[in-house]
Amino acid sequence: MKKYLSILTMQIINNIAYPGDFLGRSISIATFIFIFAGLWGTTFTIANTDAINGLTFPNMVWYFMMAETLELGRPRINRTISEQVKNGEVAYILNKPYNFLLYHFSAGLGDGAVRMTLNLIVGSIVAWILAGAPPAPLGWLMAFVTLIGAWILHFCFMALIGLAAFVVEETNSFELIYQKLVFILGGFLFPLDMFPTWLQNIAYALPFPYMMYAPARLFVKPDVDLFWRMLGGQAIWVTVFVFILAFVYQRSEKYLTVNGG
Amino acid sequence: MRQVKFIFALWKANLQAAMEFRAAFFTQIIFMMINNGVYFIFWILYFDKFNAVRGWDINTMMLLFGITASAWGIGAFFFGNFISLAEVIVGGRLDYYLSLPRPVLLHVLASKSIGSGMGDLIYGIGSFMLSGYFTPDGTLRFLLGVFAGVCIFIGFLVIVQSLSFWLGNTVALSQFALSALLTFSLYPSVLFDATTKFILLTLIPAALIGTIPAEFVREFSWQSAIQMVSGPLVFLFLSIFIFKLGLKRYESGSAIQVEV
Repeated sequence: MKKYLSILTMQIINNIAYPGDFLGRSISIATFIFIFAGLWGTTFTIANTDAINGLTFPNMVWYFMMAETLELGRPRINRTISEQVKNGEVAYILNKPYNFLLYHFSAGLGDGAVRMTLNLIVGSIVAWILAGAPPAPLGWLMAFVTLIGAWILHFCFMALIGLAAFVVEETNSFELIYQKLVFILGGFLFPLDMFPTWLQNIAYALPFPYMMYAPARLFVKPDVDLFWRMLGGQAIWVTVFVFILAFVYQRSEKYLTVNGG
Repeated sequence: MRQVKFIFALWKANLQAAMEFRAAFFTQIIFMMINNGVYFIFWILYFDKFNAVRGWDINTMMLLFGITASAWGIGAFFFGNFISLAEVIVGGRLDYYLSLPRPVLLHVLASKSIGSGMGDLIYGIGSFMLSGYFTPDGTLRFLLGVFAGVCIFIGFLVIVQSLSFWLGNTVALSQFALSALLTFSLYPSVLFDATTKFILLTLIPAALIGTIPAEFVREFSWQSAIQMVSGPLVFLFLSIFIFKLGLKRYESGSAIQVEV
């Protein structure tokens, strides 16, 4: 456990070593929140209403801020794993005294913690300017708890996509499709509350809302019932995907071909 | 004529290289089309709920996606280095191009092809055909709109990345410029206030890629036509001028390189 904590700490230090780059990356979240606020500001004005499906304009902007914090803070572990598989570096990592997946989990968490914190700070400032005061403290608490499950689910998907490099040469396409599924069925661009009922039912039967909608929705509208439902869903999906990941990893090792050198 | 032959030879070489790994090439194309299609579901859901926003409906959005995706696709597939020019400059990789008797900028840009760009191009054309504006004169205006979009994408990004000649490493800035340009170009500028619209026509000229061409395809107006022709040409000539100016400051890294 101590070694994984060291990997995590090392990654955090690496990330804050270059403050310019560190701050530069946060400009993106400001741009995206600005666009989103423009879209929903116009929509609310045209609809001439304060709330759409129970969500107000400030709710929408803060919802998107939380969703974007998670999306932009999510480290692209799949690219690292995929690259290591393709260039053979994986052979050097496998004989080290740590678990390959737990190594990436710790390193990714170190990356993610720094990025998400910065995105949260910059995003909150922009959202506050555009939509007023942030949600109540209970929302922050519920969002934080569900962020943990959401992050683990993201990690499982990213690792599975990265491990696909053992079988197929090009894995970037899988990442793009995965990202778009989270954008739509995860409620990233459009909260699930706005979906027609039939699509809501489909979305809830899949893991994506538990990775994005859960923390963002609970953040702006804390709801105890929804909180437990989301937490329960996350527990089920995390269990399922951890098993799948462990299985795929075991199988992937068998595909490994090392050519010396 | 000599340069036209040269550029066709480059494209042929790029295509042959892509065909070397044809399964990966076709996978990229198909996945990019699916990617764009899934992303567009957002607008289907949006307009299903709100019908129209300031004159923009689902058909207009399909048109906007058609123009932007096609323009991006042409840029990425035929001039793939337009998104990695800063890395070429900073990495001292211009040496190779400078040693050959061909236009440096054109050679650099067309030396790389991004396979997924073809997926964007096919998706863009399909999106236009389904938008309801697929008429003979609509198609001509669409082609002009796409041409304008390609010029803006390439011109703007060459300008930003040429700053590397003066500022050093501008890879992060270039990535931000690319992300902002692409993201804003996929939204109609009617959503934004007057100040933002002005920015989208000048500092980040995303409106010249998406909104203005889409409005031009919907309905001919001299104002749109002038914006569509003048804006892209200004950016294109400015980009060539700034690149050439910066090239005088280029310092070779003296690295040993192999261009594949």
